Amino acid sequence: MSFDFALILDSIPKMLMGIGLTLQLLFLSLAIGTALAIILLLMRISGRWYLAAPTMVYIYIFRGTPILVQIFIIYYGLPQLEFVRDSIFWPILREPFGCAIVALSLNTGAYVSEIFRGGVLGVDRGLTEAGAALGLSARHRFIYITAPIAIRLCLPAYSNDVVSLMKSTALASTITLLDMMGIARTIVAETYAPYEVFLSLMVIYLIITWIIQRTFGWIEKRMSRHIRSEV
Amino acid sequence: MEVLTGWWDDFFWGSLVVVELFFVALFLTVLFGLIGAAAKLSNSRVAKAVASGYTIVFRGTPEILVLLLFYFGAAIILTSIAQIFDPAVKFVDFPPFWAGSLAIALIVGSYATETFRGAFLGVDPGQVEAARALGLSNLQTFIYVRIPAMWRLALPPFGNHMLSLIKDTALVAIIGLEETLFVAEQAIGYTAKPFTLYLVVGMIYLSFSTIITLSVMACEKYANRHLETAG
Repeated sequence: MSFDFALILDSIPKMLMGIGLTLQLLFLSLAIGTALAIILLLMRISGRWYLAAPTMVYIYIFRGTPILVQIFIIYYGLPQLEFVRDSIFWPILREPFGCAIVALSLNTGAYVSEIFRGGVLGVDRGLTEAGAALGLSARHRFIYITAPIAIRLCLPAYSNDVVSLMKSTALASTITLLDMMGIARTIVAETYAPYEVFLSLMVIYLIITWIIQRTFGWIEKRMSRHIRSEV
Repeated sequence: MEVLTGWWDDFFWGSLVVVELFFVALFLTVLFGLIGAAAKLSNSRVAKAVASGYTIVFRGTPEILVLLLFYFGAAIILTSIAQIFDPAVKFVDFPPFWAGSLAIALIVGSYATETFRGAFLGVDPGQVEAARALGLSNLQTFIYVRIPAMWRLALPPFGNHMLSLIKDTALVAIIGLEETLFVAEQAIGYTAKPFTLYLVVGMIYLSFSTIITLSVMACEKYANRHLETAG
């Protein structure tokens, strides 16, 4: 067994050709998933059971099953159903990219909405009560008091979820997409050099994780700058 | 459900493989988590550095990448060892069960490291001091004072780790272990009903997650029974 450095230098640029797809999967499903999470959160805390109950079932199902199974159900499974093939969503669900986005967004939406709920529940009741005493409506209390504090509270957990979403994008390689993971698997199938290729890909993923964590660390610091004690 | 005729037993054995994989990986996860936490809490700078390297790498790279690296990497090492003894050997296969359980356990173990470390530091120092004052030895303090307090703190996050563990077992189908997802793929080859069959896999996993969630809730209730107030 030997370590082939020429192969590493050769395969890194090839794998980096897939970074665009990896980042597209990450940012698109993060945006859609976060929007979905906000809708789920509002339904969940609405206090109406017919809105809260479906979101609880949704979250239970999507957090209780493997993301790989969800991807397979959407990509391989849905075309079995005739009404899916006739629906307006077919152009999206026909493509592996669309399926990956749908699966990742639905999955991350369930996780993020629970994170947001944790943030909202962490807001001191006294503050919203004070808002009510000042005559703010429920909507204004949510927008001006609860939301800003809740966002700050759930940022650390949210950044962890962004990292796990980034890790999940690698599963898109199982439905024929050539993201970084998909390209790496192709190279390994051709050269049979798993160490060189997979270890260098690990380094690339670690750098992306590091960038995500640093970015969120910076945002957190900025958002709590009013709390930081002056030296 | 007539699609499942003739496949029930395969799904049953597949689920059994999932359960086996789960328990083997769970044991290894606890082991790696405890070793990692001990290393992080130790005074040795080398041990600390190795443990932080471990958590950074395994929490920052996609699970599927670690799994494939282990599976193909181990096969290469085994092949080159076998070739020392018998140059005619072309390829030695590493059992996917062990590659899978090791990879999953190392990934979830890196999360468990942080959980155990946090639980150890979360024990009220006053209790430890009280144990010292009563003349308990280090070992006695650890067994009678620290562990009962620690597992109460570690239980809720550890429940989440167990959920990640059971969901990660689905990935091992990618390297050809005959668990439920793999069974479904084979059944689809005959019946051409991917949606129904993957849905069955999803339901199997959902029931496993439910069992784990309920058991953790029961354990938490038991662990915190002294805190319950009389109704």
